[in-house]
Amino acid sequence: MASLRRARRSIANVAFTGFCWIATAVAIAALALILWSLLRQGVGGLNLAVFTQSTPAPGSPGGLLNAIVGSIILCVLAMVLAVLVGVLAGTWLAEYGRDTAYAQAVRFVNDILLSAPSVLVGLFVYYILVAHVIGHFSAIAGSVALALIAVPIITRTTEDVLKLQPTSLRESGVALGTPHWVAIRKILWKSAGSGILTGGLLAFARISGETAPLLFTSLNNQFFSVSLTQPMASLPIVIFQFALSAYDDWVRLAWAGALITAAAVLAANILARVVTREPRRS
Amino acid sequence: MNALNTDTFEHYASELPPEAVKLHVQNLDFFYGKNQALHGVSLPVVNKGVTAMIGPSGCGKSTLLRVLNRIYGLYPGQRAKGTVMLDGENILDRKVDVATLRSRVGMVFQKPTPFPMSIYDNVAFGVRLYEGLGRAEMDQRVEESLRKAALWDEVKDKLKSSGLGLSGGQQQRLCVARGIAVKPEVLLLDEPASALDPVSTAKLEETIVDLKKDYTIVIVTHNLQQATRVSDNTAFMFLGRLIEFAPTAELFSTPRAKRTADYIGGRFG
Repeated sequence: MASLRRARRSIANVAFTGFCWIATAVAIAALALILWSLLRQGVGGLNLAVFTQSTPAPGSPGGLLNAIVGSIILCVLAMVLAVLVGVLAGTWLAEYGRDTAYAQAVRFVNDILLSAPSVLVGLFVYYILVAHVIGHFSAIAGSVALALIAVPIITRTTEDVLKLQPTSLRESGVALGTPHWVAIRKILWKSAGSGILTGGLLAFARISGETAPLLFTSLNNQFFSVSLTQPMASLPIVIFQFALSAYDDWVRLAWAGALITAAAVLAANILARVVTREPRRS
Repeated sequence: MNALNTDTFEHYASELPPEAVKLHVQNLDFFYGKNQALHGVSLPVVNKGVTAMIGPSGCGKSTLLRVLNRIYGLYPGQRAKGTVMLDGENILDRKVDVATLRSRVGMVFQKPTPFPMSIYDNVAFGVRLYEGLGRAEMDQRVEESLRKAALWDEVKDKLKSSGLGLSGGQQQRLCVARGIAVKPEVLLLDEPASALDPVSTAKLEETIVDLKKDYTIVIVTHNLQQATRVSDNTAFMFLGRLIEFAPTAELFSTPRAKRTADYIGGRFG
């Protein structure tokens, strides 16, 4: 009896471990396939011109300079807006609002925003900013749309990591006669820093590939432009436009653009790992 | 209930000259939302002495401690009723600035909580908020505080390294140093030794006895021997009520209430 039970237990163990292994392999294989096709198709399109020339007409030489610069401007501006709002909102929820009715409502709405389709966000910004306030497509509208997508992510992670900080850390800061706000700024944010940064990076990774909200807001621009009030080119939009075209040179540029986007996200992640690495304890 | 009535302690307080009473708790009720955790607690805390609070878990001793610097105010829904006079001023008054109050009434917690910064900055943190000390003065203040907390010799060569790298006992003494660096008048200790090994505990107790020359100390402890070793007066609490308050030697040798006798005799709790 006992040996039978032992045999059954070890079979169950092997089966479960095997299942986990297969599931992991499937997930990694998908990722590897994506990266492989990106590399295979994208590397061929990479050359100096990609980084020095703007998007061409079909058949002419050109690159992605306007789209790369556009994406950087759109994302950086969006992140500045989103970090400002998101970190403060998350801090308020964790430190001041807590379980009050208002905080619960904010948390609920934030969770809805977190999973809202990005095309809705694009439409919303289009309706308010593009159609009524500014009156035309512009980079600033694109940034606002991206920021709206990033804010709920940052709010949520900020709240979560602040709640993970030990109560006694918060209390011992305040117990020294530090105003609560100063204790948050100088102790809790510092202690939760790497978590908040991770949230910011997740948000950055998410918005750097967003296409839908930009279609209605920053649109596209075939010329190099850094003006925030004008339409602006961006990598996702250019990839979308070029990849669906019938021109080989455009398709090649689209793959190169996709590779650059993926590399940027990867680089940001590695950078965050390095920056937030735990200082070695003595 | 075989609690001695409140007048007993008022009598005790009235025998003391007014300047000998640093903190005077009178008729204090405390609520966590709808739950009442303290019922009409009154007791004096003697100036430049150690007052211990003992009692079984959940008796309200930590709650009482948390009223004395109004740290409970961080949480919506917690409130106190009654009066707590600190040098003749009611600290429960709305008009009292809590940050200033907390700089006068410091607190050390059960678990060591070094801030994520260097040992030096941990100690200097509170001082920087209230005083614009020059570099030399600040160095001196940090050294003096670490010496009083009996930690200086162990950390003097690594003041710039992180406070998180110290051992548990050292971290707790760092928290004591941080607490006394701002020169508070009262120091509240919430089971400060419960996370420490016996050697660190002994060092911390020496520190406490030493500190009472300059500070008024209130200590919450589960360890009865610790209460007898460090305190001058002891309050025994049970179910949110103060059962007995007396000089430590007297309370432990001739307790007046039966519950006190049962508790210190090890019959419950």
